[in-house]
Amino acid sequence: MKKEIAITAFQCKKCGRIHYPYHDRCLDCKSREFEQIKPRGNARLLTYTVIYNLPWGFDQRFLIIGIAEFENKVKAMGQIKADSIDRLKLGMKVHPSWEPVRVQFGEDVYGLKFEPID
Amino acid sequence: MRDVAIIGAGMIPFGRRDEDSLMDMLAYASLKALDDSGLGDKSVNAVYVGNMGAGIIQHQTSIASSLVDRLSLLPAAADVVENGPASGGSAVKNGLLAVASGYYDFVLVVGGEKMREVTGWRATDFVATMTHPQAEYPYGITLPGMGGMFTRLYMEKYGVTREHLLAVSLKNQEMGALNPYAHVEMTLDREGIFDSPDAIVNNPTAADPLHLYDLCPVSDGAAALVLCPLEMAKKLAKSPVLIAGFGQATDTHTLQEREDPTDLKAVTLAARQAFEMAKLKPGDIDVAELHDAFTILEIAESEHVGFFKKGEGGKAAAAGKTRFGGQIPINVSGGLKARGHPVGATGVAQIVDIVFQLRHELPKNRQVKNARHGLTVNFGGFGNNVTSFVLKRVEP
Repeated sequence: MKKEIAITAFQCKKCGRIHYPYHDRCLDCKSREFEQIKPRGNARLLTYTVIYNLPWGFDQRFLIIGIAEFENKVKAMGQIKADSIDRLKLGMKVHPSWEPVRVQFGEDVYGLKFEPID
Repeated sequence: MRDVAIIGAGMIPFGRRDEDSLMDMLAYASLKALDDSGLGDKSVNAVYVGNMGAGIIQHQTSIASSLVDRLSLLPAAADVVENGPASGGSAVKNGLLAVASGYYDFVLVVGGEKMREVTGWRATDFVATMTHPQAEYPYGITLPGMGGMFTRLYMEKYGVTREHLLAVSLKNQEMGALNPYAHVEMTLDREGIFDSPDAIVNNPTAADPLHLYDLCPVSDGAAALVLCPLEMAKKLAKSPVLIAGFGQATDTHTLQEREDPTDLKAVTLAARQAFEMAKLKPGDIDVAELHDAFTILEIAESEHVGFFKKGEGGKAAAAGKTRFGGQIPINVSGGLKARGHPVGATGVAQIVDIVFQLRHELPKNRQVKNARHGLTVNFGGFGNNVTSFVLKRVEP
C-alpha cells in the first residue's frame, strides 16, 4: 500500500518562509510561530548526483540522490529511482513516494524517493 | 585585545600512518611546534585540540586531557574543539581569543585525525554524520555527494567545466609532489585521467560530476602551532607570524534551505571579517591555502574570498593564475587534494603551511617570493561553518 509522505514542513506565520527541516525560529524573521504543512503534488528536480563510494549501511553499487522542490515550495532531499543519471535533467518533474531508503539495525528506514516523470 | 603571534609551527607527514595512534600523532606534531617555538621546557597555559572523530573512530574521548598528560604539560588547561572539518580552524580561533584577551600567554593548538584506522565504508559514514540527521543522513548522502550536487549547480550557473576542475587537480598534485608532508606525493598525467580512453578507468566517477581525482584522500595526520602575545613573540622567536585577521561564519545546515545553494555565504563572511580585522584586501594576499576537499571548492572559494569575480575562478585556474608563480598562488602545499585531509588537522595544517611561507623557509620550488600576507579558509560541514585567517609576516 502506498504510504503517506511523512515529512512535515513549517511555514512561518509572520513572513511565510517555508522551512524543512524544523527550526525553532524563522530563518528570516525570527518568529516562533509556524503552520505545519505537508509537501504537495509532484516536485521539480533542483540538483542531483550519483555516488559510488557509499557510506556504511548501504550494500549496493551506487546511489542516486537529489534535492527537489514540491509544488507548494517545500524543498527536500531524496533518493532518485533511476538506473542511471543519463536521463535526469535539472528542472525535470519527479513523482515523490515514501519508501524504505536504508536498513538500520535490521529495520527499514523510510524516506523520500523521487521517480522521474518522462 | 592584544596582538597574537605564532611562534611555533610543526606537522607530521600526512598519509596512512598505521604505526601511530591518534595520540602519537598529536604528540609528535605538538613537540615539533613546541621545539620550533623556542619555549624550551617551559610549559604552556592552555592546549586546544581540534578533532572531529576520536569519539567515533577511536572510541576515545577527552583526548585533550590525555595529550597534556602525555606531553607533561600539566596543569595546563585543555579542551577539545569539534567543528567538523573546520575543527582545526576553530581550535586556532580559541587559542587566538584566549591569548588576545590576556587570559593566557602561551597556548598550544594542535589538530589531528586518524581516519585510516577504519574501512573507507566506515570513514565515509563517519564524515557523513555531520549532515542533517533527518533531512539528509538517512538517504546515504556523503560529503562528496554534496560536492557533486553543488558542482552540478555551479557548472550550470557559472559555466565551470571539467577542464577547470582538472586544472586544480593537476596543479595541487604537482605541488603536493614537492611537499614532504603530503599524503599523495605524485603528479598526475592529464592524458591518463582526462583525455585517453583509459581515463574512465583511471579516474572514475565518484560523485557525478566529480571524479576520483577531484576528491581529497582520506588521511591520518596532525599539525600544531604555539601562540603568544606579539610583544613576547618578538623577544622569543626569530620570525614570528602575526595572526592579523580572523573570521568565522555559519550558514544553513542543509543545502536545500539556501536561497542560492551556489552562494557560499559563510566563506564570504568569514573571509571579509578576517580582511577587515587585518585591514587588508584580497589583492594584498601573496599566498592562500583554501579548503579544496573537492576541486570545485577551490574554484568557488577563490571567488567567494574575493580573488576573482563570480564565474571567473575556473577560468583563472585553467589560465594558471592560481599556480605557484601565478597571480595568486593557491594551495602551494598541494592543498587537501594532495597534502591530505585528516579532518581535525586541516585547519591547523593550512596555517602551518602559511607560516612556513611567511618565514621564507621553504625550498625555492615552493617558496612564494617575498610572501608577506597569507590567507586560509577552513570549510566545515558543507560550508555551514567556515573559519578564515589572515596571517602577516613580522619583519625581523
